[in-house]
Amino acid sequence: MSIRDKYAFAGVGLTRLGKIPDMTPDELAAQAITLALEDAGLSGKDIDGYIYQGGIGGGLSDTLPLHMTGINAPMVWQVASLGSYANVMVAMAVGAIESGLCNSVVLVHAASAASRRGGGMGPMGMGASTPGAYGWYGPGATAACMAQRYMHLYGLTREQLGSISLTLREYANKRPEAVMYDKEITMDDYLNARMVVEPLCLYDFCLVNDGAVALIITSAEKARSLKKPPVYIMGYGIDHSLRVAGQSPEAIHHFDGFVAEKAAEQAFGTAGITIKDIDVAEFYDAFTIFLLSQLESYGICGKGEAGAFVEAGNLKLGGQLPANTSGTALSWGYLMGFTQLTEGIRQMRGEGGECQVKDAEICLVTGLGGMVDNGSAATCCILRR
Amino acid sequence: MPEIKKQLPAITESNRPFWEAAKRHDLVVYGCSGCGTLYSHVTVCVNCNQPRMEWVKVSGKGQVFTFCIYRQSFHPAWAGDIPYNVTYVKLDEGPLVMTNIVDCKNEDIYIGMPVAVVFDDISDKVTLPRFKPVS
Repeated sequence: MSIRDKYAFAGVGLTRLGKIPDMTPDELAAQAITLALEDAGLSGKDIDGYIYQGGIGGGLSDTLPLHMTGINAPMVWQVASLGSYANVMVAMAVGAIESGLCNSVVLVHAASAASRRGGGMGPMGMGASTPGAYGWYGPGATAACMAQRYMHLYGLTREQLGSISLTLREYANKRPEAVMYDKEITMDDYLNARMVVEPLCLYDFCLVNDGAVALIITSAEKARSLKKPPVYIMGYGIDHSLRVAGQSPEAIHHFDGFVAEKAAEQAFGTAGITIKDIDVAEFYDAFTIFLLSQLESYGICGKGEAGAFVEAGNLKLGGQLPANTSGTALSWGYLMGFTQLTEGIRQMRGEGGECQVKDAEICLVTGLGGMVDNGSAATCCILRR
Repeated sequence: MPEIKKQLPAITESNRPFWEAAKRHDLVVYGCSGCGTLYSHVTVCVNCNQPRMEWVKVSGKGQVFTFCIYRQSFHPAWAGDIPYNVTYVKLDEGPLVMTNIVDCKNEDIYIGMPVAVVFDDISDKVTLPRFKPVS
C-alpha cells in the first residue's frame, strides 16, 4: 500500500539564525524541539522517536536535547548523509511509524558552524590520489569544477549564476528571520565579489551560521487533530548514484549535472503526479551551480538551458516555478537539507509571508549529498497542503 | 610555531601499488582483467561486477577535463600557494585523475588542454603525479 498522504508534518520549531556563540548545539536543538512541540500543541511525552544529524554541521550529543525537553523516546537514530539527509530522515520517520516502532517522530538539525569552526570538511573522495596532497579541500572545489565544466559545455555565464544569488537574496530581504534580511546585493556586487574557488565567488557559496530546527512527523489522522494544518508527505525518493570519476563514460556526467532522475522517479511515482504539478520548489543550494544543475536533473529545463531559465526570472514569485522562496542556504541560513524542508512546509501552510506562493498546493523539496568525484546522493520529498 | 606540513597521500594496502609505481615514475590505473575497463579508483568493475582487477601502466598523456583555482586558503599549509589549481585530467586511456597542472600559469589552463604526467618527488618516500602542458 502506498504511503502517500498517510503521514504529515505537524510541528515546526526554528531558533534564530546567525551567530549564536552563547548556545551549544544541544541547547539550540532543545529550543527548536520545544518550539516544534508548542507549534503542534504536543508535549514531550507525545514523542517516541528522535532522529538527528551526525557528521558535518553537527555536534549534537546523542540524547541530551531529549532530556532537556522531557522526551523519553525509545527510538533514537543518528543519520549522516551530508546535504541529502533531511529527506532521508523523512523516509526513516515514515518507515519507523509504518512498521510500528513509534508514533510521532521529531527530526532535529542543529548547527554551530559560525561560532564553533574547525569541524568543517577536510579533503574528500578519490581512492588513490588523496585530494589533500593536491590541495583539494572542502566541497567548494567540487562545485567550482562542476561550474567550470558546465560553462565550457553550455556557455553558462557568471551573470546567470549571479541571477540565482540575486533571486534568492531578494527573497531573503523579505524574510525578517533570514541571516541576510537587511543586506541587499546587486549584480555589480556579485561580479566584483572576491573569488573563493574560481570560477565561484563569495555569493556562489552558502552561508555559515548557527541555528537549529525541529520538525515533527506523525500520522495524517493524528496531525489533523493538532493545532496546525497538516502538511502531507506525498512521496520521497533516495538515490545513491555511486559513480566514480574514474569510471568512463557515464560517471563524468556528474561534472555537468547531478544525477537525480531515480530519486525523482521514486518520489513522483509514489505521489502519482508529475513535475508539472509542482507549484513551488525548494532545491538544495549549497552552491548556485547545485541549484542550477537540479533544474535539469528534475526535468524542469532541458540540458544546458537552466542558466537562461534562471536569468529570465523563472524562480521568482510569478515566474514559471517559484523556488527557494526564503532565500534558503545562499541567503536565509544553512541548516543543511533542513533549510529547504522547513521552507517547503511553511509554503504549504501559507506561512511564507511576503514570499508566499499564492494558492500553492504541492511543493518539491530536494537534497544532495556527496561529491561529484565519488558519487552523490540525490534525495527529494513531495509535500502537499 | 611548528611548521604545518602539507598532507601526504594516505598509502593503504589497496592503493600501495599506485604509489610504488609513482615512485618508479610510472603512472598506473586500476583495470578489469575481464573486460579491460580502466578506473582511477580502487573499485570493482562496474561492467563485470567482478573483482578481477589489476594495475595497468598508462601513457600519462591526457587532456584537462575540468579545473578550479583556489583564491582563498582552506588549509594553512597551502596558504603560500594561493592561487593554485586543482585539476581533473582525462587520461587518453579513459580514467579521470585528480592532479595539479604545473609549468603553466593558472590563467592559461583551459578545458581540453593537452597535458602529460610529470613526477614530483616530494619526499624520499612519496612521488606525486602532476601534469604539465604539451604541444
